[in-house]
Amino acid sequence: MKRLLFAIGIAIPALLQAASAVGFRVADAKGAPVADAVVSLTPLDGPARLEPPTAPVEIMQRGQEFSPYVTPLVAGTRVSFPNRDTVQHHVYSLSKPKKFELPLYAGEAKEAIVFDQPGIVALGCNIHDWMSAYVVVLATPWFAQTGADGRAAITGIPPGRYRAEAWHPRLGKVESRELDVSGPPAASVDFTLALKPDRRLRRVHSAVPGGYK
Amino acid sequence: MAFSPFRFRRFSTRLLALVLGLLFATLAVTYLLVSHANLSNALAHSEANLRVGARIYDDAIRRQIAYLTRTAGLMTGDYAIRQVLQAEHPDIRTLSSALQSYTQRVGAPVIAFFDTEGQLLANSDAEMENENVGPFRYLIDRASKADQPEDSGISYLNGKLHVLVVVPLYAPYPNIAGWFGLAFPIDHAFAQKIKDTTGIEVTFASRRGVQATTLSAPDSGIVSQLVARGPGQAGGQVSIVELSDDRYVTLFKPEDLLGEDPVTVVLERPLKAELAAAHELEQRLLYISLVALAVATLLALGLARGVSDPVRRLAGHTKLIAGGDYVTRLQLDRADELGHLADSINAMSTGLAERDQVRDLLDKNVSPEVAAQLMRDGATLGGEEREVTILFADLRGFTTLSERLAPPELLALLNRYLDRMSAEIERHGGVIDKFIGDAIMALFGAPVAQGDSAGRALAAARGMEAALAGLNAELAAEGRPPLAIGVGINTARVVAGNIGSHRRLNYSVIGDGVNVAARLQALTRTPEYRTNIITSAATLAAAGPGAFATRPLGAVNVKGRVGAVEIHAVE
Ligand SMILES: [Cu+2]
Repeated sequence: MKRLLFAIGIAIPALLQAASAVGFRVADAKGAPVADAVVSLTPLDGPARLEPPTAPVEIMQRGQEFSPYVTPLVAGTRVSFPNRDTVQHHVYSLSKPKKFELPLYAGEAKEAIVFDQPGIVALGCNIHDWMSAYVVVLATPWFAQTGADGRAAITGIPPGRYRAEAWHPRLGKVESRELDVSGPPAASVDFTLALKPDRRLRRVHSAVPGGYK
Repeated sequence: MAFSPFRFRRFSTRLLALVLGLLFATLAVTYLLVSHANLSNALAHSEANLRVGARIYDDAIRRQIAYLTRTAGLMTGDYAIRQVLQAEHPDIRTLSSALQSYTQRVGAPVIAFFDTEGQLLANSDAEMENENVGPFRYLIDRASKADQPEDSGISYLNGKLHVLVVVPLYAPYPNIAGWFGLAFPIDHAFAQKIKDTTGIEVTFASRRGVQATTLSAPDSGIVSQLVARGPGQAGGQVSIVELSDDRYVTLFKPEDLLGEDPVTVVLERPLKAELAAAHELEQRLLYISLVALAVATLLALGLARGVSDPVRRLAGHTKLIAGGDYVTRLQLDRADELGHLADSINAMSTGLAERDQVRDLLDKNVSPEVAAQLMRDGATLGGEEREVTILFADLRGFTTLSERLAPPELLALLNRYLDRMSAEIERHGGVIDKFIGDAIMALFGAPVAQGDSAGRALAAARGMEAALAGLNAELAAEGRPPLAIGVGINTARVVAGNIGSHRRLNYSVIGDGVNVAARLQALTRTPEYRTNIITSAATLAAAGPGAFATRPLGAVNVKGRVGAVEIHAVE
């Protein structure tokens, strides 16, 4: 990330002088902090220059789960899917921005996947229904992910008008608003998200006795 | 009289006991009949309910098998499983985890995969070993031999009761590449599900004990013991089982297992629930009965009082009559039998009063003894011969007296005299036969025979003399002249009886002896005899010698009589 910002700094020295930071606070309708939300700032004055990292980002499979659950990245980033389990997985996506499958494999996947279209990509495994992960492909280098306290911060933002956006797996539509980043550091941007109920499948271990449905 | 608990001193008590007894018996019988009908009805209803429950259970098992079969059919066509099996050496762990994913997808707790030989390849349940999946292998074997597309049954899996289904994996149809085995447990949740649908308690029990139940532990223990007792319970018969909180109508339904002793599905309904409505009815019946008893008690008491009060009045009135009151009349104002009885008693009072009047009249006209005999024997013209002492008394000089006194005074004096004389005669047991003007004829020894009638007559004559002396003393004080009497007494056998016409009868005596007595009375007028009382020797003989001082007067001839009569003066 620092490297990314450094690159931007070199590219636009005029803006760097006035670069500032924006804090975000994401909560649900009840006011509880929301983790794993992705917040981003997309410039409205003109497209941002995107420089995807050269090394692939890693989304591994461990304990028959994807890790991390949510991965935000800038369009054009390569992602590798190493399998750290004893069982095989069959990773796939049927999402529009990137459809792909990695047929049943163990260990390292044969290839890394390039996510070049902005949008939300849902990942699954053909063998294990409960395995689920998201890749958030963004058209801006200014983004961050909330922690358990629902807070996130984006730094080194050049002055200008931006569209501030927030997204979460349990949010149907992206929340957005306009934001003017100039002068003194703005107060934190608060998003209150109307989250849908958590319908995520959980792996039920066989030790838990099944029952009549 | 023998003792009987049903003898009551009071009519009202008896009526009350009768009415209440009958009503109580009727109500009790009604209550028992209703109760019994309710119980039979509840049993029949429960049995019908349990049979419906049994069908619902069968249906639940059938649906589960159908669901598992369909599900397994879908799984065999799934892309992922083919991917896993496509490998040269399919990765068993991946296969197991895929099966685990399926268990969640389809809700079947157990999914196993077998090769064509029936060897367990993978299992969603890591604890289940090859030796624990016997029933699956049994079904695969059976299905293979029968060339069936699938098979199902109930048995123990890992020691627990399960419904099992095996379905082949075709690659492609009809080539079998392996078998899926799916199972779901017949557990407490399953039993509860049946109960939720039917309201029936469900227990699965076998010789191994309770497999699943909706009952509490002690209750299911009781049921399990009944099942373990033997196949006698497995006849699909309904019986009543006493559990901790209530009696339960129970249906034992045997269920065959794959290569195992059968399990018994025990379906139960509490009798209480079935009887709840009936209980309400019985309660209401009880209240109505109590009210009916109370009302009947009041009515019976009223009715009893309506009867016993007049009866008590009737009894009181008859006591009055017994005491001689024939004047008071009883007013009941009733048209019923008691009213008639009161009328009859009043009529009786009238009759008694009339008879009393007749008797009064008799008493005045005839002597009380004659009257009593008349009352007793009735007035008949019969007669009998008996020995009687006849006394005649005459007021001497009455004729002269009658000329000197006014008629009322004369009658008053005569009655006064007759009263005193009669009293003396009666005092000595004599009976006034009749008054003949100023003369008295009295009988001793008739109509009632009595000992010493002659002696009594003589004593009476002396008493009459004394009484006359007393009367004369009174008359002297009044300034009137004294009276004198003459008495003749004779004892003879005479005919006694009622003498007269049909319309008028007099008890009297007839015979010579009577004339003799009258004649002796007349002889007292003879101055030479110097006596007021003359009696015959026969009387003296009857009275006994020496009883009275007498003076022989010789023999006289009596008119109309043969032979002389020896007479004596009584001093
Ligand atoms: Cu997987």
